[in-house]
Amino acid sequence: MLLQLNKIFKWVNVGGSRTFLLRDINLTVQQGEFISIMGPSGSGKSTLLHIIGMLDDADEGEYVFADQNVFKLKEKQRSQLYKQHIGFVFQAYHLIDELTVYENIETPLIYQDMKGSERKAVVADILDRFGIVGKKDLFPSQLSGGQQQLVGIARALASNPKVILADEPTGNLNSKQGEEIMELFKKLNKEDGVTIIQVTHSEKNASYGSRTIHLLDGRVDQIVNS
Amino acid sequence: MIKNYTKLAWRNLLKDKAYSAINILGLSIGMAVALLIALWIWDEVTFNEYHKNHKQIAQVLGNQTVNGEIETYTSVAMPLGNELRTLFGADFKHVSMASWNFRHTLAIGDKKINQEGMWVEPVFPAMFTLKILNGKLLGLDDPTSIMLSESVAKALFGKEDPLNKLIKMDNKDSYKVTGVYEDLPKNTTLSGVKILLPWEKYLATEPWLNKAKTEWGNHSFQTFVQINDKAIFDKVTNKIKNASMIHLKEAVNGKEELLLQPMDNWRLHNEFKNGKLQGGRIQFVWLFSIIGFFVLLLACINFMNLSTARSEKRAKEVGIRKTVGSLRRQLVGQFLSESVLVALIAILFSITMVQLLLPFFNEMADKNTSVPWSNGLFWLIILCFTIATGLIAGSYPAFYLSSFKPIQVLKGTYRIGRFASLPRKVLVVIQFTVSITLIIGTIIVFQQIEFAKNRPVGYTRSGLITVDMTTPDLYRHYDVIRGDLLATGMVENMAESSSPTTMVNSTNIGFSWDGKDINSLPSLGTIGVTHEYGKTIGWKIKEGRDFSKDFATDSNAFILNEAAVKLTRLKNIIGKNIKWGDKQFTVVGIVNDMVMQSPYSPVQPTVFLMNPEWANLITIRMKANSSIPDALSKISKVFKKYNPGAPFVYQFTDEEYGKKFSDEERIGNLALFFAVLAILISCLGLFGLASFVAEQRTKEIGVRKVLGATILNIWGMVSKEFVLLVVISFLIAIPIAWFNLHQWLQGYEYRTEISFWVFVLAGMGAMLITLLTVSFQAIKAALANPVKSLRTE
Repeated sequence: MLLQLNKIFKWVNVGGSRTFLLRDINLTVQQGEFISIMGPSGSGKSTLLHIIGMLDDADEGEYVFADQNVFKLKEKQRSQLYKQHIGFVFQAYHLIDELTVYENIETPLIYQDMKGSERKAVVADILDRFGIVGKKDLFPSQLSGGQQQLVGIARALASNPKVILADEPTGNLNSKQGEEIMELFKKLNKEDGVTIIQVTHSEKNASYGSRTIHLLDGRVDQIVNS
Repeated sequence: MIKNYTKLAWRNLLKDKAYSAINILGLSIGMAVALLIALWIWDEVTFNEYHKNHKQIAQVLGNQTVNGEIETYTSVAMPLGNELRTLFGADFKHVSMASWNFRHTLAIGDKKINQEGMWVEPVFPAMFTLKILNGKLLGLDDPTSIMLSESVAKALFGKEDPLNKLIKMDNKDSYKVTGVYEDLPKNTTLSGVKILLPWEKYLATEPWLNKAKTEWGNHSFQTFVQINDKAIFDKVTNKIKNASMIHLKEAVNGKEELLLQPMDNWRLHNEFKNGKLQGGRIQFVWLFSIIGFFVLLLACINFMNLSTARSEKRAKEVGIRKTVGSLRRQLVGQFLSESVLVALIAILFSITMVQLLLPFFNEMADKNTSVPWSNGLFWLIILCFTIATGLIAGSYPAFYLSSFKPIQVLKGTYRIGRFASLPRKVLVVIQFTVSITLIIGTIIVFQQIEFAKNRPVGYTRSGLITVDMTTPDLYRHYDVIRGDLLATGMVENMAESSSPTTMVNSTNIGFSWDGKDINSLPSLGTIGVTHEYGKTIGWKIKEGRDFSKDFATDSNAFILNEAAVKLTRLKNIIGKNIKWGDKQFTVVGIVNDMVMQSPYSPVQPTVFLMNPEWANLITIRMKANSSIPDALSKISKVFKKYNPGAPFVYQFTDEEYGKKFSDEERIGNLALFFAVLAILISCLGLFGLASFVAEQRTKEIGVRKVLGATILNIWGMVSKEFVLLVVISFLIAIPIAWFNLHQWLQGYEYRTEISFWVFVLAGMGAMLITLLTVSFQAIKAALANPVKSLRTE
């Protein structure tokens, strides 16, 4: 078991009444799974992903990641846990505009206090794996959307995480680019055993996963195993 | 990691050049001001430290009770020197009597120069640790010797060796050069002393000086002492307190207490009130420290404001960094290293600025400071100062920017709300409060100077020149010199006196009259004049008559000024007698008060007496229609004829009078200089801020324009926010400025009122500057095509 969510509730108070963003979410994810989260706008997909990614807290419930109770950890320990095991991929890529491709990929390694020489080797390896060695000195603005997302995934993988959380990774891409990215996810999942949890609107993209979780109004509507 | 931070900081600087330029420029100016002020303060607090014994040297002062008030004088009686040496020898290492710094004419053959110097005892050069370049430290042992400063030696002898050469002084005696000392630097009290003469010889120059050796009532000399290394000033003061009073008791009813004024206080703590130390120039040190601090603060505020205003641009980066594992601490570190980098770049510019401004600054501040390029400590301090400035300027932005929640910024739901700009507004208000206060302060300082300058002086100042009678040749030739001067056709009148119109050289006690309160001990300014004095300077006789040759009895006559009449409390004073010492004088006239001393103080009660014997100064009135260079050249011929032993040196009374304002004018100019820079910094910040506000509100402005807003509407909308801030600053600045300036003006007895228009003027000025600064951005935003701005969303 990689992670487990037990009875997760999250709400906001608006003018005296309580609006639930998530209600009674229970989810167990095994190492090596490929999970898709689907649902209409406002159903809580991103909120769930953020909680899994430790960017957000739940108001109630328990979250166990790699045998540690996440909500009970101190800020520093949580950060430690998360920067070692979790990689994020965004719809809008979110590369740092002022950094080159190489430096963008290198950034998470810096925050892991990896030594300079080691960083060089890791980044070189990843550039090689993704076939973007020739682009390493370019800035994000000089790349196409698909290439930027490729760099985004490369960056997420740099720290060799157990799980990649992807928030509509193909949302800003055309279908051909999107397909390439999804193939890449599939390959990473199959060959490298990286756990992938993605939020998506597209049935087609969801079908890459082994399990699809449908959310509606903050609760699990149904779970489909493919 | 530092390398990574620096690289990123550098790229961020290059990316938004206008923003970086404003930031760096603002910070450079602020730091330059702080550096200039630091150099100024350093110069002030190390004043007199050229003398190695500065911690042990003191001057003996006297607290005299006069007219019921305690006045502190630097002049003491001559026997005091020996008294201290014999009775209190255990406490003093050295004691030296000294004269005032007199002007003398030095001549070698045809070469003549005028220089100022003091008569001192042989131990004086050693006590003040003069650096001997040639000859010996004990050069004044021999009563015919003279010691020269390097500059005087150069002026007289050029490259020749001056040692043992003879110099003729004041066309009288000759003196042998026994030593040449390095000129005292400008930041020493005695820097104006260019020659040193033997005390022993001084006593032989005039009979009254020889007499003064035993006179405890004649306060015409200075005493400098160096206490023993282990002695403490206060304790020694307590011991010697009554040293002169014991002897005075027999003579007069006055009261005198002695005290030691340590050398370290000479410059900054030199004002006494009621016999107690009351501060002095130290107030300017405080004033400028505060100004320097605030100007630097303004620059730091600029940095904070611009950085946080730009936060939307950096927010995304913060979000990403946090999601890839950055701790907040690391982000703070990153932003702080950016601001330190900016500060480091800024210090380079500011040191360059300081170097370029220094000649101008020195001129304005009457200083001779320089950047200590080769001093390692200086660079260490600069480095610490820079890093500290960078950290302070970067602190708020760093904590603000690093506080962003990654989910919000990455989702794009993050917006800078109304609340977020509040701290920025507070900072702008602080900036403008400081700027407006400085504007008001500067205006009032100049107003006070102008007020004192316009004070009626009671005589006609323009067209007057004075000539010191330095050599015996000028004495006892009054009528022939006067006749020759009048014969030039350029001179309207000429007279002699014992004080110029810009000074009262001597003040005396011992006056009495019928009905005088026996317990009071009035002191009056006493000025000896010739018959033509009043006509020459153009004084106004209020009652009675001027001195006249028609009355032989005028050698026993007094003319009083109004203040003196008031002091006597006598009515119908003309014709009444006043006794001075054992001599009776008759009051023949009352003259309107003349401003002869500080233009800020009430006029001192003064008597004029017809006594050509006292005179040591010639006053000449040139004809109003004559050209000054012509007149001077003709006058100089007369002086060459009668006084061949001395160069013709004169002073314009107008200029001498103007010098009374030099301290205030200097402070005013410096304050103006700093105020202008403070405003410049604030405007730079405002300009940057306005551009961000305009950018932030691009969409709003677009929508408004589509809905029919005119350019004027938009301009008003964008400007309104800033105008409001200036109004708030103005309201805060008024009481602060009023209170402080009111306090400052209390130091002047003749002072201007703080009028309301000054505040209005400063407020309007600040408003105008704000509108000009903001309008550029506001109009630019208003002119933009709404179609374009709306499409960017």
